[in-house]
Amino acid sequence: MSSGLLTSAVGSLELRSPLLTGSGTFGHDPAAALRFLGPEDLGAHVLKTVTPRPRTGNPPPRLVETPAGLLNSIGLENRGLAWFLEEVAPQHREAPWPVVGNAGGESVEEFVEVVAAFGAEPALAAIEINLSCPNVQGGALPFSTSPEAVGEVVAACRAATDKPLWAKLSPNVTRIAPLARAAEEAGADALTVCNTLLGLVVDWRRRRPALGQGMGGLSGPAIRPVALRLVWECRQAVGLPIVASGGVSSAEDVLQFLVAGASAVQVGSYCFRRPDGIRRIAGDLRRLLAEEGCRVRELVGSLRWPGGGAAGGGEG
Amino acid sequence: MAALPADARVLDLPVTARRRSGPDAWILELGLPEAWPRLRPGRFAMLAPADGRGPFIPRPFSIYSQPAPDRLDFLIQVLGPGTRALAALREGETCTATVPLGNGFEVQPPERPVVLVAGGVGSAPFLLYLEERAAAGAAERTWFFYGARSADRLYDRERFEAVGSPVRCSTEDGSLGFAGRVLDDLAGALDRGEVPEEARFAACGPEGLLHAFAAFARERGLDAELSLETYMGCGVGVCNACPTPTDPEGPWGDWPWVKTCVDGPVMPLRAIRF
Ligand SMILES: Cc1cc2nc3c(=O)[nH]c(=O)nc-3n(C[C@H](O)[C@H](O)[C@H](O)COP(=O)(O)OP(=O)(O)OC[C@H]3O[C@@H](n4cnc5c(N)ncnc54)[C@H](O)[C@@H]3O)c2cc1C
Ligand SMILES: Cc1cc2nc3c(=O)[nH]c(=O)nc-3n(C[C@H](O)[C@H](O)[C@H](O)COP(=O)(O)O)c2cc1C
Ligand code: FES
Repeated sequence: MSSGLLTSAVGSLELRSPLLTGSGTFGHDPAAALRFLGPEDLGAHVLKTVTPRPRTGNPPPRLVETPAGLLNSIGLENRGLAWFLEEVAPQHREAPWPVVGNAGGESVEEFVEVVAAFGAEPALAAIEINLSCPNVQGGALPFSTSPEAVGEVVAACRAATDKPLWAKLSPNVTRIAPLARAAEEAGADALTVCNTLLGLVVDWRRRRPALGQGMGGLSGPAIRPVALRLVWECRQAVGLPIVASGGVSSAEDVLQFLVAGASAVQVGSYCFRRPDGIRRIAGDLRRLLAEEGCRVRELVGSLRWPGGGAAGGGEG
Repeated sequence: MAALPADARVLDLPVTARRRSGPDAWILELGLPEAWPRLRPGRFAMLAPADGRGPFIPRPFSIYSQPAPDRLDFLIQVLGPGTRALAALREGETCTATVPLGNGFEVQPPERPVVLVAGGVGSAPFLLYLEERAAAGAAERTWFFYGARSADRLYDRERFEAVGSPVRCSTEDGSLGFAGRVLDDLAGALDRGEVPEEARFAACGPEGLLHAFAAFARERGLDAELSLETYMGCGVGVCNACPTPTDPEGPWGDWPWVKTCVDGPVMPLRAIRF
């Protein structure tokens, strides 16, 4: 009974728990997930972005702390698609949870190359496409900000695989609804909302950015209200299932995202605080749900907006 | 590429004792749920107060000693918010520890001489190393060069001396031992044949000392390991925030970086660009 409290689904992908890892915060290989997490706690293991060719990543320092969060510019370091398929994917074939590949690229063709290969890889249950990394070309890729470009890349990826396809959207936009709609119309099965917020920390004594690359992506509790607002906006804009990502570090945070419309919630930076963080949050979540007498599925999208109307502005 | 160590785990551990060492450091003793075997010297833990106090991400610290089979000691110099929050933990409060992490120093046969070089709190991984050598009957073939700005920053000096290996202290202000930098003391000792050049050398300390030591060891052709103090995110190999540049000619030359947390923190000098 108590395990039924946590079950959820993202489209056709059934999950024993709504808690997922965030891409880039729990590695490419299964070692850490198997060591620190159990299948009752982790709904799916979302892997770090893989690009067609190796990327050596950005120069250090790659991470600097900020109030209630951190700024990173890892730069999608990975040894490329061939390495992933030969050395990493086979390690996931016996995983006790669904595994979600995350595809990156700098052109439509590059995304398609990775998505097609992921589609043929039996270890992967679903594919997330990273349309939103701020650490590539200063976040200036059109896939982050242009509905036309999002539509184009999602449509091309859709044609390349039958597996569930999640479009991971950027928060670094004025309005997210047009991007969400573009992804839906192009055939995405779900949206991941969102990624890190582009930011800057200055080491003023050296007159230089604190990160080796310059700018970075902000994550952690500091971004949670922004991510929540974006999830709610997407919930209203589209009918697709939503996977939330941004600032989760407790069961209370997870519940906020579920109520705002997410079917599953990724836990990213908090796993650095404690690698067993998802197990801990799952325990608290079971307790809170039992107290409240409801299940995850009943909470998804249950937010009642003041006045009953659509989302209102409210800034200022 | 190394993997996450098989014995790593996340534990919420009670602070069983804390005591001051020098003007700005604390020794934090944590209680383990059961007895542990002796750990390879040079391994580390990611530590943070369990109640969420202090910064968002934990901080890495060498395992300083195992005063009992179910106890771990850490020597923590207070520098910024992370170390301040840990140093403020009282007996009975809880510290979250991901431990033991990293590889540790490569074991040397007892007959091979070993020379350890530390600056300040860089001494932390060397107490276990000295104890391991003493247990192997190699105490007199092991030298510890311990340097600091002043005598009061030679943290726990008596404890290091009590293990039985020769400890050579140096202070920049001349308040104890050799007056000057620890590397100048080491250079003199090598020149006079007081320590053997064919020893295994290992160094740990602030970045400035490690850079100077790396240049010194390369110039003299010493066989050396460094214990690096790179900024870390996760400590368990999942975030790629801790790259150490590799030497393209060295054993890890197929990729420009290794992960300091799982491929280190102890690295052979010949394998890295430092
Ligand atoms: C494997 C490993 C083992 C370590 N063992 C010990 C130990 O046994 N005892 C001990 O006192 N310290 C040790 N350190 C260093 C310790 O982790 C840092 O001093 C600590 O992270 C500083 O955190 P803070 O929040 O107090 O200071 P911050 O505000 O983060 O930093 C204060 C100052 O220290 C510098 N700094 C921050 N992190 C590091 C770092 N990782 N290495 C070097 N400089 C840093 C910052 O640039 C800044 O100037 C170790 C580091 C590593 C990677
Ligand atoms: C160190 C680090 C590396 C990341 N790498 C990736 C990545 O490779 N691909 C990706 O889609 N997102 C990446 N992200 C973004 C996270 O998956 C997540 O969307 C973001 O951090 C917000 O969630 P959080 O606040 O829970 O961390 C990374 C985040 C961090 C902190
Ligand atoms: S600190 Fe995260 S990979 Fe090394």
